[in-house]
Amino acid sequence: MNNDTVLQVNNLKKYYPVETGFLKRRVGTVRAVDDVSFAIRQGETVSLVGESGCGKTTTSRCIVRAVDPTAGEILYRRENGEVIDLATIGQNALRPIRREFQMVFQDPFSSLNPRMTIFEIISEPLRVHNIGNQREREDRVADLLKRVGLRAEYMRRFPHAFSGGQRQRIGIARALAASPRLIVADEPVSALDVSVQAQVLNLMMDLQDEMGLTYLFVAHDLSVVNQISNTVLVMYVGRVAEIGPPLEIFRNPKHPYTAALIASVPKPDPFNLGARIIPEGEIANPANPPSGCYFHPRCPFVVDICKQETPPLEEIEPGRFVSCHRATEIELTV
Amino acid sequence: MAQSIRSEAIASHSSSNHKPLLEVKNLHTHFFTGEGVVHAVDGASFEVHAGKTLGVVGESGCGKSVAAKSILQIVDKPGRVVDGEILYTSQVSAGQEIRRDILKLDAGGAEMRAIRGGEISMIFQEPMSSFSPVHTVGNQLTEAIQLHTEMSDKEAEQAAIQWLSHVGIPNPTHRLNEFPYRLSGGQCQRAMIAMALSTNPRILIADEPTTALDVTTQAQILNLLQRLQANTGMAMIFITHDLGVIAEVADEVAVMYLGRIVEKAPVKEIFRNPKHPYTKALLTSIPRIDAQPRERLPSIKGSIPHPQNRPSGCPFHPRCPAFIAGTCDQKEPQLADVGKNHQASCFLYPGC
Repeated sequence: MNNDTVLQVNNLKKYYPVETGFLKRRVGTVRAVDDVSFAIRQGETVSLVGESGCGKTTTSRCIVRAVDPTAGEILYRRENGEVIDLATIGQNALRPIRREFQMVFQDPFSSLNPRMTIFEIISEPLRVHNIGNQREREDRVADLLKRVGLRAEYMRRFPHAFSGGQRQRIGIARALAASPRLIVADEPVSALDVSVQAQVLNLMMDLQDEMGLTYLFVAHDLSVVNQISNTVLVMYVGRVAEIGPPLEIFRNPKHPYTAALIASVPKPDPFNLGARIIPEGEIANPANPPSGCYFHPRCPFVVDICKQETPPLEEIEPGRFVSCHRATEIELTV
Repeated sequence: MAQSIRSEAIASHSSSNHKPLLEVKNLHTHFFTGEGVVHAVDGASFEVHAGKTLGVVGESGCGKSVAAKSILQIVDKPGRVVDGEILYTSQVSAGQEIRRDILKLDAGGAEMRAIRGGEISMIFQEPMSSFSPVHTVGNQLTEAIQLHTEMSDKEAEQAAIQWLSHVGIPNPTHRLNEFPYRLSGGQCQRAMIAMALSTNPRILIADEPTTALDVTTQAQILNLLQRLQANTGMAMIFITHDLGVIAEVADEVAVMYLGRIVEKAPVKEIFRNPKHPYTKALLTSIPRIDAQPRERLPSIKGSIPHPQNRPSGCPFHPRCPAFIAGTCDQKEPQLADVGKNHQASCFLYPGC
């Protein structure tokens, strides 16, 4: 693991059993995350992007150990330089380490406890990790509120008094309270109005520069991902299709699914409405995926090997990974 | 069947003159809540022409959904239309049309019920929750068909199967007997479109129909809607917050903010030459897939006011980069011409 790498995920898997009947007989498996590997460097933003069932949210939950992975390694480099495997570490050992990574959630209306004041919400990580006394905590919360563009007096109020955008800022303040290194943001702007999205994205980028934060961003909106990422991972039904910098991924995709995704996004430009090649069929079912490459039934470039063998994730250029048998042969236009 | 739908429908959908098919004039819909009156729609006027799509775009609280529901008189309590006219050209028999204010019709009366779902249909945002979970898909589809036509049970069932196949649902005969929970989001939305179009409406109102769907499914549904529109000649009112979708589907665009229409223009004009400060700000603040990564987005300061805290004068003035003190906070601008077929309501332009 490189010295500037904060998180290295190796062959992560999370499978859920499908059980039926009174005796809970196992009849199948949902392969929510099915062999995912990537790395996040200090100060970087890595985004996991994909549609329903691609495993991006489950991956982020495994990383913060909100769920226990089925297999694989999640190597995390602590502030003191020590490298530990989050996937297998015990709960007691994990507890103090949790201070170093925090989450920001998607729904600003259900991620703040309506019965707690803003002060109680933002200072909760400080209480859990025994940081500071009451006075110091109040100062910290006031400072955090100002950092996220809200007034310090707001700490006496309750969540219902605030709009979606303001609540999301409160969620960010809470995530920053214990001075973490890594923030995992699960669709932090999807529930916000368009004019507010820009404000919150700008805030997150500013805080990242100021505080040297590292972000793992989970999103389905390719435009948002393009705006904030250093590295993008495109996921499909539990697997990684492609990894690379956003300019490369969105202008020069190497995986047919990425090209299909980009083609599907409606562009706010009525002067350039070219014929779009829209993928047919439905997203594969993670409980019953196709053989070989999961995308093969919908892929315009499918050949026999695609139906038989899972394509490995290969580095075709430095920093550019694709899992497609035909990556080097096909020309994808967007 | 596609061919026969086309010729019949186009014949019935083209008006004898060039008046708009639907004309909403000065619509006011208010919600009478315990905490006060919310002016959800505060004087909105717009038109829909046969065969064309009007895109209504705006953010939370702009009133776009309430305006759409007002047309069909299905605004949820405690909401109520308090003023305005909705002139609609209805087909009474072959070649015979009548144009009248449908707001004056009794909401539960036979005439309005014939229009609602029969001549003007609507599809909604959350397809999974728009179907009754305790009735099969077939049951709901045939009910819609039989409410508005004279078909027998068998005929309605056949029509339902045809429509499911038209909207691209595989195994339509089988699907008829399934409950909505067995369909994916995309399939549910297709089934809802089938239900809405099975009565051959003149206007389809689509309220954020693809917002809850994955992006590849959204692309398929938008394609489907455009194809069906081309086949049937129907008009569409497409409501969304997504400017990308507007660029794809709309011919004309109405931008709404806090219950008012702030700008109206053909789609290319809105994107090339926006006049209202809100429209301009919206267009520059959206994340784009072709932008330079890691750059800061220009954003609109402040946030959408709480509907009970309507600003005085122009509703956008507290956030407007072109705010003129003494004017924008005191007087209310009106929609006025700012170009060919282009209207905006802003004191920057004469006539407002």
